[in-house]
Amino acid sequence: MATVAEKTNVWEKEVLLNGCQAVAQGVKLANVDVIAAYPIRPYTEVMDALSKLIADGEFDSEYIVADSEHSQFEIVKHASSVGARAFGGSSGTGWMYGFEALVVTATDRLPPLFVVGNRALDDPGAFGVEHNDALALRDMGWLLCWASTAQEALEHVLIGYRIAEDSRILMPMALAMDGAFLTHSQHMLKVPTQEAVNRFLPSFDLGKRVLHPDNPVSIAPQVNEDWVMELRRQNWEAARRARTIIPEVYKSFNDIFGPRYDNPFFDEFLCEDAEVVLVGLGAVKMPAQTAVRRMREQGKKVGYVNLRWFRPFPHEQLRATLGRMKGVGVIDRNFAIGSPDNGGIVVQDIRSALYPLAKRPVVTDFIGGLGGRDMSIADCVRMLEITLDAANGKQGDELVTWIGLRE
Amino acid sequence: MATQLPVIDYEKIKKIHDTPLEEFYTSGHRTCQGCESAMVMRDFAKASGPRTVVTGATGCMYVANTSYLTTPWIVPWMHTQLGAGGASAVGMAAGLRAQMRKGKIKNEKINVINFSGDLGAGDMGLSGVSGALQTDYDLLIILYDNESAANTDIQATGLTTYGAQTTFTPPGSKHRIMQRRWKKNVAAMLAVGHPTCRYVATASATFPALDFMNKTRKALGIGGPTFIHTFDPCPKGWDFHPRYSHELGELGIKSGIFPLYEIIDGQVVYTYDARQKGRIPVREYLEKQGRFAHLVDEDVDYIQGMVDTMWNEWDIPGVAPFKAGLSVSGERATV
Amino acid sequence: MIKRVEVNYRGIFQKNLGKYIGGDIVQIASRMGKVAFSNGRYSDAPERNGIPCKYFAFVSPDLSEEELEAECGAKLDIDEADVSVVVDDTMVKGVEPWGWHGVRAINEKVREKGCLLVVSQHTHDNLLQFIPRLPFSWRLASVEGPASLAGLWVYKDDLTRERVLGAIAAVDPGIIAIEAVEAYLLERTTDKHRAEAARASYDATLRNIRVVKAGEGAEWHHEIPRLPTWKEFEDGGVVVPAVPRGFKMGPRGQTRNDAFKRGTTKSHRPVIRFDLCIKCTLCWYDCPDECFDPTDDGLYDVNYEVCVGCHKCAEVCPVPECIVMVDELKFNSDASPWEHHKKDAQGYIKWAEEKKGLDRIHYPHVTGTGMEIREGKYVPPKPEKGGAAAGAKA
Repeated sequence: MATVAEKTNVWEKEVLLNGCQAVAQGVKLANVDVIAAYPIRPYTEVMDALSKLIADGEFDSEYIVADSEHSQFEIVKHASSVGARAFGGSSGTGWMYGFEALVVTATDRLPPLFVVGNRALDDPGAFGVEHNDALALRDMGWLLCWASTAQEALEHVLIGYRIAEDSRILMPMALAMDGAFLTHSQHMLKVPTQEAVNRFLPSFDLGKRVLHPDNPVSIAPQVNEDWVMELRRQNWEAARRARTIIPEVYKSFNDIFGPRYDNPFFDEFLCEDAEVVLVGLGAVKMPAQTAVRRMREQGKKVGYVNLRWFRPFPHEQLRATLGRMKGVGVIDRNFAIGSPDNGGIVVQDIRSALYPLAKRPVVTDFIGGLGGRDMSIADCVRMLEITLDAANGKQGDELVTWIGLRE
Repeated sequence: MATQLPVIDYEKIKKIHDTPLEEFYTSGHRTCQGCESAMVMRDFAKASGPRTVVTGATGCMYVANTSYLTTPWIVPWMHTQLGAGGASAVGMAAGLRAQMRKGKIKNEKINVINFSGDLGAGDMGLSGVSGALQTDYDLLIILYDNESAANTDIQATGLTTYGAQTTFTPPGSKHRIMQRRWKKNVAAMLAVGHPTCRYVATASATFPALDFMNKTRKALGIGGPTFIHTFDPCPKGWDFHPRYSHELGELGIKSGIFPLYEIIDGQVVYTYDARQKGRIPVREYLEKQGRFAHLVDEDVDYIQGMVDTMWNEWDIPGVAPFKAGLSVSGERATV
Repeated sequence: MIKRVEVNYRGIFQKNLGKYIGGDIVQIASRMGKVAFSNGRYSDAPERNGIPCKYFAFVSPDLSEEELEAECGAKLDIDEADVSVVVDDTMVKGVEPWGWHGVRAINEKVREKGCLLVVSQHTHDNLLQFIPRLPFSWRLASVEGPASLAGLWVYKDDLTRERVLGAIAAVDPGIIAIEAVEAYLLERTTDKHRAEAARASYDATLRNIRVVKAGEGAEWHHEIPRLPTWKEFEDGGVVVPAVPRGFKMGPRGQTRNDAFKRGTTKSHRPVIRFDLCIKCTLCWYDCPDECFDPTDDGLYDVNYEVCVGCHKCAEVCPVPECIVMVDELKFNSDASPWEHHKKDAQGYIKWAEEKKGLDRIHYPHVTGTGMEIREGKYVPPKPEKGGAAAGAKA
């Protein structure tokens, strides 16, 4: 029997797009009102694509070339405050330049969406992928999510706005995608129809929080010790609520566009009977899943967890999935200098999530792929082998193995 | 360059008794007694009226007005970051324009205003203000200048007067003058740098009466991005009794140390033409402030000399520090 | 044993004075072999001219440094005060340092048998009109003199600092002893007159400590606002309603921020002779705190609840004697003066002149260079010869 999705044609066309252009399509379909642009490799092409869509009359939005990332992010934030759906983006050191603006956007409880074309942090300058830019936001009250394919990036612009703008949430959304691997490679992508998108994504309404002469308010007056804790608690609560609202949004997405996401928070690849899994964010999913297939051919019971949502962190669901495993290998495409056991950022959260379990898998960590270095299929096979060894009691003293490092 | 001033559609307040009585910034703020920056807030809000959205950058006019989780604002107001004044105005204007064009909100004139202090518009936020003045959005950025980083308890900024004492520039036994920088000429700098910006002005809530309110209305009426730099005597930072706030504003303007003018479509219109009205000696202004108590004659003479140069030697007196017509060799070219 | 001292002072005008007194207590106590430290109240900063502020000092003869810090340190406010110094007596009407705090009694922190030490020219009875009763006995003492006001950069060296130290030694020698005060002052500057001033103040204070009985004092009507739980304001959070729009002619005609009236900022209030007013608008026009309410007869009523006492209206008013600033302690009501004038014009003039008295306060431009009380009608100052800059040395 034909599904609802097949009956009503929700996909308009298949187009050759790279990751940046895919995001631009998402922004267009979301009928964004204000875009602020500033160039930095590798996300810049998102803004190139948007300007062309506007110039050709395919899309109507204000488009401002800002004087710096700080101004860029502030333009987005204030456009959002007056009720406009707003979009911005950056990468690496540019993201850090405007970091103040990002922090206050969350504490102002405004819901614009930003794309982060993950790029290594300066100094020295390097263009290749590294996740620290987006991860730096993890404590600040942002929704933080990784796309692992360009299709996913397109769809998550829509999913992101819907979640962020939910009046029970009101948190800004950072959609991260690996620089180069996602931003710059071209695939045939399915672009949804505007009509289907309109059914999924309502228009943006800040209600009584909007800054407009018809709604006289004062937003973010100065506070002191009488108020900070309560305001933080409110933000904290919004993130907690988001964990229950996110699955509702994905269900709505699946209902309209077809069953695309089984689990909003992460994808499980061959995990049902796995004893050992790798967990990663972003494009490393490709070589990792290939490695899993190859090792399955050798009879090894391995799988891959593609973690999509980093904040709010899906600790309950991860506990359930990873708690079944004998071993978990975390792929950290980031650095965390001086951290506990010298692990990366993601392993800290994974270990923390697993801590309450009576029976815990062995956890091992891999730091690799920094500054754009490849993480090959062979690297991923090696990571699985190391994790299998660890699961069988053969772990060394160190939590961390550096993958692909010239030693 | 036009030789006639444009007709600006605005409701001029002609006499002091015509000043609108209703407040849009009202009692209940923690500003200093005698605060002239608070006067600027009161006046611009009054001149702009209820169909207004305002952002205020971090500084005295943020922290002092809303201490704590309270507000004196009747018009809608939002905090923005210290250096984000220009960007906040652009964001609001763009957000409103897009929504009006798409029919999401009613199409109407809404005044978009940002106010920022010395650091906000003159130092840290200068690039954002510059970006804003290049756009075609209708907005007004007000630099309220109390000549210090006042909210952090008085430090020097790029707009602090030469010689002034601040916590970063205290006179000591070895160095009497730690504040050796001459005040940045922000308004004129912005006018020179942004030829499509139609209205740049300097003003003061102190003097002349109604001038700042009318300038606010002109800026809001002329169209496009606009900028006003106000001169705000500050009892806390300048060290004088609050009762003299108004007087110090007048003295500063009449000494010529703070020129008062408008630049409308590239034409300079003096509000107070010190060349014609005469200038009082700067000493009469400096000696009434504790922040200059350590100055000696040599310092006062230097300041006087700089002010004399501003008015006697600049090609556009009080406004632009250029002297035209020099040939490459340094001699004035003959026509 | 711990001794706690708080200094209540007018922001900016007395910032240095408050800090010096607090610091001096620590230094003197240290020289006596005690352990001590001091700090300002962090939430007061940034200070504003006139806003009520506090400085603290803690002294112990027997605790260690860590123990004293543990009891008194890492705190925003003082728990209780053995001596509460008030260097501007108008603060006895109550202090409201910021929004959502409420107007607090000046003796809120004074402990049983503790002492409120006020720099004042008023009698104890006058002061007690405003100070609320406590359920236990406490003491009131004064240091005779006007409030010492200055600015950030030019300090007023009028010996208030030294006299307050002497007075503290009188009311609570367990904090600092007068001999130690004298020795410290002699050592610090070698000026004998400072130590002498402290000793004279010590002697005078000993003779004027008044024991205030439990239950003796004024009624207190100010409530402490209840702060909402995080859930209660979750819908708004950082978004708060603006002051509602509203204006009509007459007293209290303009809407104002009811959450923070801050009338306790003032040391003086303007007394207006409506009969002399020429309706030039300048008082209303130039008020940074929007305190005036225009009336239907072209006059301007002043809302004393929100007036912060900046003196600007008195300065800009072109009519001599029309607006005169008067000691805040002469008033126990914030009722509309214009309504009084409307009801009984002649009676109002009598009331106004009685409040004004014959003295007129004159502040120089640089506050720290002095203050004069001139008798008789106000005379505008001549341009100051010399002033602050001329004759200053490196």
